[in-house]
Amino acid sequence: MRSERLILGKSFRRDQRRLTFGVFIALALALSACALPSPPPAQRPAEQPAAPTNEPIYIGVSGPLTGPNARYGVQWKKGFDLALEAINGKGGVRGRRLEYIFEDSQSDPKQSVIVAQKFVADPRIVIELGDFSSPASMAASPIYQRAGLVQFGFTNSHPDFTKGGDYMWSNSATQEDLSPALAEFAYQTLGLKRLAVFYLNTDWGKATYDLFRKHAEKIGAEIVAAEAYLPDEKDFRSALVRARDADPDGLVLISYQADGAQIVQQVAAAGLKVPIVGASSLHSPDFIRLGGAAAEGVLIRGQFSPEDTRPIVKAFVDAYRAKYNEEPDFFAAHAYDTMNIVAALIEIAGPDRKAIRDAFTKIKDVPSVIYGSVTFDPVTRRVSKPQFVDLVVKNGKFVPWDGTLPNGRG
Amino acid sequence: MPDFALRTLGDQLINGLVIGNIYALIAIGLALIFGVANLINFAHGSVYMVGAYVGWVAITWLGWPLLPTFVLVAVVCAGLGLAIERLGLRQLQNQARIAPLLATIGISFALDQLVQIVFSPNPHAFPSPLPATRIALGGVSIGLLDLLIAGITISAAALLFAFLRFTRLGWAVRATAQDREAAQQMGVDVDAVNALTFAIASVLGGIGGMLIGMYFTSVYPTMSYGAMIKGFVANLIGGLGNVPGAVVGGLLLGLIETMGVALLGSTYRNLFAFVILIGVLVVRPTGLFGVQRALPPEPLTGTFVPSSQPVRLPPWLVAAALVAAVLLPFISTDPYLLQIFTSAWLFAMLALSITLVTGVAGQISLGQAGFLAIGGYASALLSMRLGLPVELSLILGAILAAAIGTLLTWPVFRLRSQYVALATLGVGEVINQIVLTWEDLTNGPLGLSNIPPLSFFGLPITQNAPIYWAALALLVVSALFQWRLMRSHLGRTWRALRDDDVAARAFGVSPDRYKALAFIASGLVAGLSGAFTAHMYSYINNETFAATTSILGLTMVILGGMGNMAGAVVGAVALTALPELFRPLADARYLIYGLVLLLLVRFRPQGMLGTV
Repeated sequence: MRSERLILGKSFRRDQRRLTFGVFIALALALSACALPSPPPAQRPAEQPAAPTNEPIYIGVSGPLTGPNARYGVQWKKGFDLALEAINGKGGVRGRRLEYIFEDSQSDPKQSVIVAQKFVADPRIVIELGDFSSPASMAASPIYQRAGLVQFGFTNSHPDFTKGGDYMWSNSATQEDLSPALAEFAYQTLGLKRLAVFYLNTDWGKATYDLFRKHAEKIGAEIVAAEAYLPDEKDFRSALVRARDADPDGLVLISYQADGAQIVQQVAAAGLKVPIVGASSLHSPDFIRLGGAAAEGVLIRGQFSPEDTRPIVKAFVDAYRAKYNEEPDFFAAHAYDTMNIVAALIEIAGPDRKAIRDAFTKIKDVPSVIYGSVTFDPVTRRVSKPQFVDLVVKNGKFVPWDGTLPNGRG
Repeated sequence: MPDFALRTLGDQLINGLVIGNIYALIAIGLALIFGVANLINFAHGSVYMVGAYVGWVAITWLGWPLLPTFVLVAVVCAGLGLAIERLGLRQLQNQARIAPLLATIGISFALDQLVQIVFSPNPHAFPSPLPATRIALGGVSIGLLDLLIAGITISAAALLFAFLRFTRLGWAVRATAQDREAAQQMGVDVDAVNALTFAIASVLGGIGGMLIGMYFTSVYPTMSYGAMIKGFVANLIGGLGNVPGAVVGGLLLGLIETMGVALLGSTYRNLFAFVILIGVLVVRPTGLFGVQRALPPEPLTGTFVPSSQPVRLPPWLVAAALVAAVLLPFISTDPYLLQIFTSAWLFAMLALSITLVTGVAGQISLGQAGFLAIGGYASALLSMRLGLPVELSLILGAILAAAIGTLLTWPVFRLRSQYVALATLGVGEVINQIVLTWEDLTNGPLGLSNIPPLSFFGLPITQNAPIYWAALALLVVSALFQWRLMRSHLGRTWRALRDDDVAARAFGVSPDRYKALAFIASGLVAGLSGAFTAHMYSYINNETFAATTSILGLTMVILGGMGNMAGAVVGAVALTALPELFRPLADARYLIYGLVLLLLVRFRPQGMLGTV
């Protein structure tokens, strides 16, 4: 083989060329990786008090903008943009504009840890928001904790998220609050005694379901069917037939918007005719768009009513409708609230990472769409007692529930 | 209540048959392409997704009736199929088999991303234009759409059968599938046949996509991956490249899956699909309808593993690269850069483990993420529950990954070539499902949190630079381990098995044992990478080591050059750094990534550090 190469000089040269090419690519990659748009070194402006005042204050957002969860990142952006328009319209925070840098992580831990290092190294970033899923968020937590940058996991309901360290905070409603409320809604308010439950088999869905079952059984309801499903599931027909055979008098959805819509669409085909009750995460125009006529009459125990007259909710809902020409959404509401909390934090602390961490215990009663007002518990680093409002889908909109079980269901 | 049970059974049968029909449509297309072009077409799922979107645009935006919409979907998808064949694959025809496969992965990335950019990542409602009336048949009810789906699949299969059986062009397709060179010598224009095959397959895939869009009343850009996997599985059950087999495989898969869900619940859908797959393959290694041929002399003939020789890197270059890698934390303190390379080293270990089983021993593994998961969970649990020091739990985790993973892969050993690839994909999926459902041990979807950090002789490693060095050190140790193995008697035996397992057997080599040894060695390295990752992340759940990680790992290996240790490392660095490099492109990041992958394949078909 080797002697052949020597004889066939041409092929040997070609090999050499290839080798050179391969090495070239490897070097080019290594070099370009070194030349990545890395932020200025951390030592320089971080501690400089004399930052020019017209320079905006930056917030890092790590979340999905591509990949299977991209839709949630898009909703976040809507909420952030809305809140920032109002905040910056009033002159920003401490005379400086507030802006965010959204880095796509695909909600994948492989990328969220890299994004975390990027934010940590960027002295302009004063606080970080996200990520979306628990594996992506909590894999990045040690990095934020070590670097002393607050990771504000605003959709992270995982019970252990804030236990990652004193720089992990969350204003996500926890299952300890949500699940019992949902159980009481189904059993006590609606009088549904035999429940079939569909839940998303993720950390969120599983934790919600476990607490839901515990509370529902305590107050006297019976869970006759429980169906766990994976996030990419689309075919619920056979699971629904199973649920139908258990003869429930109510169907409970611990679902997100797209999968929830998928289930209600397939309920009729399975011959199941019972009232449908959903978790607050269904509260989105996407649920209605995707669910179509099948979404009519679905009840949820939501966290804000679009008809609410409180100024913060009214401001959010009106601005949302005006800007996006659709009804507000659960994830966007969370993002909106979060940006307002961040503004309040920076107002107290200034653009300083550690001071912002300390400010969490100082802010009191920040107006909030989800909670009414927000005050953090310094021990759990969370907010408790979200408010609830019962909503029903009527004529393609979520409206406050008037207390009657809708026609055709039940 | 017998009536009641009967009704349930009838309803479930219909559910299973309808979804089975869709699987069959996808599987037929894959079977055709595999038969003719000898290629596993990873872009098929994306064509299916495009078909769904075209149908959705025509019906909900343009208000077209159903029939012209079908025609439009057929025309657009046929065009797309032709374009993929002509622009993406034809130039690669005489290159290593690996090249077209990688190209289809690149095309699929690009198409998925393009649709996502144009139509947003949000799913769109796709209400079926058919009336919602259901026909009652003795307690069981069937929807009009169900009938339409069945009708289209059956007529498409019948038409295709007639075409292949009774027309001259159909004969040409079959002749090309049987023996490409012979067909060419008999005057068949094999390029035209190839193009035709892609067009037909794409039409079937596109129509399948549109039907599923109507059936699930929504379309979304990420629908391609799942559909493609199910198409593969259906195809394997029926026998790769076998059209009637694809139909039967699709229906069987749909029925069995649905029955599985009916018995155990939705979470078990994929578990059922893959257990059935492995079961069928163990009993009939060429699928239900595959011809039981004599063993092909070279297991890698016609598979997507190229016969690539590593480019010989001069030792000074390797040494210089290693020194540069060691010194990196002194050159730059940017944690972002360090993290990229830390991740790259961990992926390089994954890639090394794949290149050992795949490139050296010739067993294409698409289930390597399963080894990562076992390693990660084992090490995390040992250190958390038993309080073992992390140094020890890392090693035990790697050993357990090798042991458990190899044991679970055992049924795959009697399979060959592509069957191994997809069966290992199944094994990976099964491991993932076990992690999800064995809640007492793994805490299910809630995962394990507060996993203790890495440590070195009792000192916790929490700073970026030490973590980087630790990862690099493990990579170097793994590489040395592998280098030593490859140069040993064992390595030569593996290569003998890869190159000609009949001859190897004749010399008294027992393939199963040596395959097991390959998986053990590979599992050690992958398990170590997974264990390290778990302690670095501090939190893992079933999504951390998702099945797509296996495909990413194989892509790294192919890109770097199969069976080539330096190539595996370069591939890992490239595929970790490229998406970061393209960060400023925001949404278009993965579109460009797909295109770059395509270009690399076009100009380096044997991988970056491979040569023919």
